[in-house]
Amino acid sequence: MTLDLVLFWIPGAVAIGATVAVITRKNASRALIYLVVSLLAVAVIFFMLGAPFAAALEVVVYAGAIVVLFLFVVMMLNLGRSSVMRESRWLQPGMWIGPFILVAILAVVFAYAFASVDGVDTKGEMVGPRAVGEALFGEGPYLLAVELAGFLLLAALVGAYHLGRRYLEERRELS
Amino acid sequence: MTAAQISALLPLLVLSGGIVVLLIVVAWLRSGAVAFLGALVVLAATIAVTPLALGAGTQDIDGLLEIDGYALFFHGLVAFAAVATAVLSYRYLKPRAAHAQEFYILLLVATLGAVVTAATDHFAGFLLGIEVLSISLYAMIAYPQEGRGPLEAAAKYLVLSGAGTSTMLFGMALIYVVTGTLEFVPAGEVGRNEQLLLAVGQAMLLIGVFFKLSLVPFHMWTPDVYQGAPAPVTGFVATVSKAAVFAVLMRYALAVGVVDAEVLRNVIVVVAVLSMIAGNFLALLQINIKRLLAYSSIAHMGYLLIAVVVAATPEVRSFGVETALVYLAGYVLMTLAAFGVVTVLSNADEDAEELTAYDGLFWRRPVLAAVLAAAALSLAGIPLTVGFIAKFYLVAAGVDGAAWILVWALIVGSAIGIYYYLRIVFAMTKRPEAETQAPPVAWEGVVSVVVLGASIIVLGVFPSPVVDFVRALGGP
Repeated sequence: MTLDLVLFWIPGAVAIGATVAVITRKNASRALIYLVVSLLAVAVIFFMLGAPFAAALEVVVYAGAIVVLFLFVVMMLNLGRSSVMRESRWLQPGMWIGPFILVAILAVVFAYAFASVDGVDTKGEMVGPRAVGEALFGEGPYLLAVELAGFLLLAALVGAYHLGRRYLEERRELS
Repeated sequence: MTAAQISALLPLLVLSGGIVVLLIVVAWLRSGAVAFLGALVVLAATIAVTPLALGAGTQDIDGLLEIDGYALFFHGLVAFAAVATAVLSYRYLKPRAAHAQEFYILLLVATLGAVVTAATDHFAGFLLGIEVLSISLYAMIAYPQEGRGPLEAAAKYLVLSGAGTSTMLFGMALIYVVTGTLEFVPAGEVGRNEQLLLAVGQAMLLIGVFFKLSLVPFHMWTPDVYQGAPAPVTGFVATVSKAAVFAVLMRYALAVGVVDAEVLRNVIVVVAVLSMIAGNFLALLQINIKRLLAYSSIAHMGYLLIAVVVAATPEVRSFGVETALVYLAGYVLMTLAAFGVVTVLSNADEDAEELTAYDGLFWRRPVLAAVLAAAALSLAGIPLTVGFIAKFYLVAAGVDGAAWILVWALIVGSAIGIYYYLRIVFAMTKRPEAETQAPPVAWEGVVSVVVLGASIIVLGVFPSPVVDFVRALGGP
């Protein structure tokens, strides 16, 4: 087994392990932390496949924005004193051990891959931000696809606005 | 882009431009009536420019869309169903949602998604089209502000449709590994490992499509979602999302030759037979008309798969496509008519979904009862209705394509089906015990279901205009 295969298998195994942890944890905030680890592992794989831009987006959009949104929801669902106590019970130091070990493994792999970008044979070519932008907004099928994605977001936005109003109005009536 | 490409794209341009304009208009005029009329204008405009697009012939747009007669047929069908849904929803939504503007925007976006799905020959368009359609549908299903039913149905649809889409996406990724392109092209000569990968990818893609078409064994969500969704939206889900997904399935299967592979052909045949038999059996004892129609739609999607299998044989390919289009046109008409009557009869508090609500309908509301009877008889495939023509086409196609198992399953399934469709008709003919005053109903809803019911009968008696039109369109 060659080195680059090993380098692929390690984050792959981390991603699968972390995802299994996501669906088996009974505690939502623990599951979310494992979800971040799983997304980071996928980002490392993207990086090693020669797609640093996709890796960066994975970290910024998924691990950053979306999971933070999940955390907000979990926090908003638990209001009141009892839930504060419950949260402090959840956030024991012990819960960080598993994610920490997994992230440390990822960090080692990432550092190695980063230091030897030219040394790792990924069988793919480097796709930087410029190439992604040209594919999306240049000639080819993806310009229309980007506009369609705009309509996808429009539908999601209009739908979320309507469904959210239901609760806003209920709350307004209460107060 | 050439002038021919632009005129081919015109229906989609008008539709998407109309959505943006309507969005700006309702931002200023916060009125449900304005949104309703605006949506009707946009849909009428996009139907009106379709002949121009037909004149431009088959046009490939950037490799993402393939605007041909086949795509434009689905465009017309979907836009027609959207018009009917808009008209039926107007009075239905009033007591259920204080603000109805967003509903019509979502309806238009869903229509756009369905048209893109039917017109694409690229996986990016496939996924985006289906997602634009589904995301709009989640919000449309959950639209009424009162009650838990719609929310529950929307959540169920969200989770299961999401599972279907992700299975599909995984399949697309595996196919991409083998073919190296996202376009619908055959893989050509590949090694043994790649062949296995391709078969797994195509199987996952089919599973996702079966989820969306609610074929057995991926049908569990259908009755619950149909029951919980608002009645006009149920009609939209049952027609538009099915037609769009079927369109892209047919296009992909014919372009790539999915059915040529022995294993996948067998999978499709087994799923079709299971859907025809199980769908009809499960419908037998339903006492809720929405659930009954849900199971019946499962069976009808099973019937439709015959066309996919038949069209894969080169000699009868064009006949198979023609069969699918005629059948879908009939299916859309009769399903919309059935859910239309359910919508019109629903009062402000609840949908008229219990079968007992239809007892003696012929005496109270002869016109609506006649439309529902026409729809039920058409779904059963009784002569002089469009459902008979459609089923006749399927049997002829099945015999031409020598798909004997499927033809037998169709006959057995239809025989079982007659029982529960006639139950609706018999319930309506019961003589009422006491004279009850029928509450007023929405006149525009009655007009639209009468148009649908009349077209079921007219096309059943005199189908040649539609048949000639479909024949002239050509396949994907």
